[in-house]
Amino acid sequence: MKAQRVPLWLLGAMLLQCSVHARGLRKCLISTDVHRAGETKDAFQNVTILSALETLHRIKPLDVCCMTQNLLAFYMDRVFKDHQGLNPQILRKISSIANSFLSMWKTLQQCQRPCHCRQEATNATRTIHDNYSQLEAQSAAVKSLGELDVFLAWLGKNHQGSSSI
Amino acid sequence: MFQVKLSLPNTDPAMVLDVLTSCIMWFFYALIPCLLIDGVAVLPAPQNLSVQSTNMKHLLTWSPVVVPGEIIDYSVEYQGEYESLYMSHIWIPSSWCSPTENPECDITDDITATVLYNLRVRATLGSQTSAWSTLKHPFNRNSTILTPPGLEVSNDGFHLVIKLEDLGPQFEFLVAYWRREPGAKEHIKMVRNGGVPVLLETAEPGAAYCVKAQTFVKAIGRHSAFSQAECVKLQGEALSLALALFAFVGFVLILVVVPFSIWKMGRLLQYSCCPVVVIPDTLPGVTLEGVSLVTSSWP
Repeated sequence: MKAQRVPLWLLGAMLLQCSVHARGLRKCLISTDVHRAGETKDAFQNVTILSALETLHRIKPLDVCCMTQNLLAFYMDRVFKDHQGLNPQILRKISSIANSFLSMWKTLQQCQRPCHCRQEATNATRTIHDNYSQLEAQSAAVKSLGELDVFLAWLGKNHQGSSSI
Repeated sequence: MFQVKLSLPNTDPAMVLDVLTSCIMWFFYALIPCLLIDGVAVLPAPQNLSVQSTNMKHLLTWSPVVVPGEIIDYSVEYQGEYESLYMSHIWIPSSWCSPTENPECDITDDITATVLYNLRVRATLGSQTSAWSTLKHPFNRNSTILTPPGLEVSNDGFHLVIKLEDLGPQFEFLVAYWRREPGAKEHIKMVRNGGVPVLLETAEPGAAYCVKAQTFVKAIGRHSAFSQAECVKLQGEALSLALALFAFVGFVLILVVVPFSIWKMGRLLQYSCCPVVVIPDTLPGVTLEGVSLVTSSWP
């Protein structure tokens, strides 16, 4: 299948404050730069992977920690690996996002205790994986990259906080 | 009964030795072209790769490959920690240095996350390419050297204004300022952008203030050291009075000097253009013809 150009949004640095529990885990500072690559022509209008309205928006605050880790793992384990594009410009943008996600993941691992995943978060994660599996790997990867803005907006909304300095 | 008799051929040791010797000779004959190619066509790989990083600007350098009379091109590739963990065969050409002629590469635009990056370089001359030479220790941008920012402090008598060095969008600044008097409280202000004047305080005239600043890079969670404190004294009211007095004196001078100059110029012009001849009182009723008759009669 012909590789499709993917949309990747430019976002400023994001701060993530860990330690929402009263026991006083130390605050963390997570920031990442995500860059825009271009516009997309999404041919699969009827299938959504992250499905903003149905899946992510229903996530409760208690499940944000678990969903963040699950979605980061989803992108790192499946989406970035399945994308087979060879265009150097696209490769650079995807590398930038993938390494930023890895950096975020490592910081989350260092900053906080393992997230407790409730059933709602587990179900939502399974829905996303099932949606992804409906498509052929490359197409699913392209579509998921196209919905990266949904994930980043959700991250920004749920992890907005003051800097720890 | 059917018998099969097997017999081995004669294994003359001399013949075996001959065959072996021929094989070895042919083997070395076959190697000769390879040796010739090795001696002429293979480029040496660049050596001594290192990264210098200051204020989030990262520069990869290496020792140049020298071939007399030829211009060598270099190609730089990088591999983030994600690629090395999940897709180790993937190397990405550098944004600005594939290829480049200089033995250095600004990799700032390639290093976009706070993870370890592998870097490699190879030399190219025409159709010949060297082997890849890889950076010995992967580079993480959180090892960048952060220097205290440049700071200009100014005032217009009432306002304490600073201008910080523009280091790019990844830098924020922490500015500390205080009145230069014993026991003064230190104020802290966060400045998001460098390169533009920033008002710190509307100050009391005559007061002296000191300012110092440090950078903060959110992406790596590190601060620089504070810059040297710079102190200014706000002139305030005294300066305004002096300026007003000076202005008044100047105005008065202008009111006096200008008309006098005009009058003087007028007189000069009058004398040079239209001089007036005045006959002295001792020679009344004498005309010019009369003077010439008198003088002509003198011996």
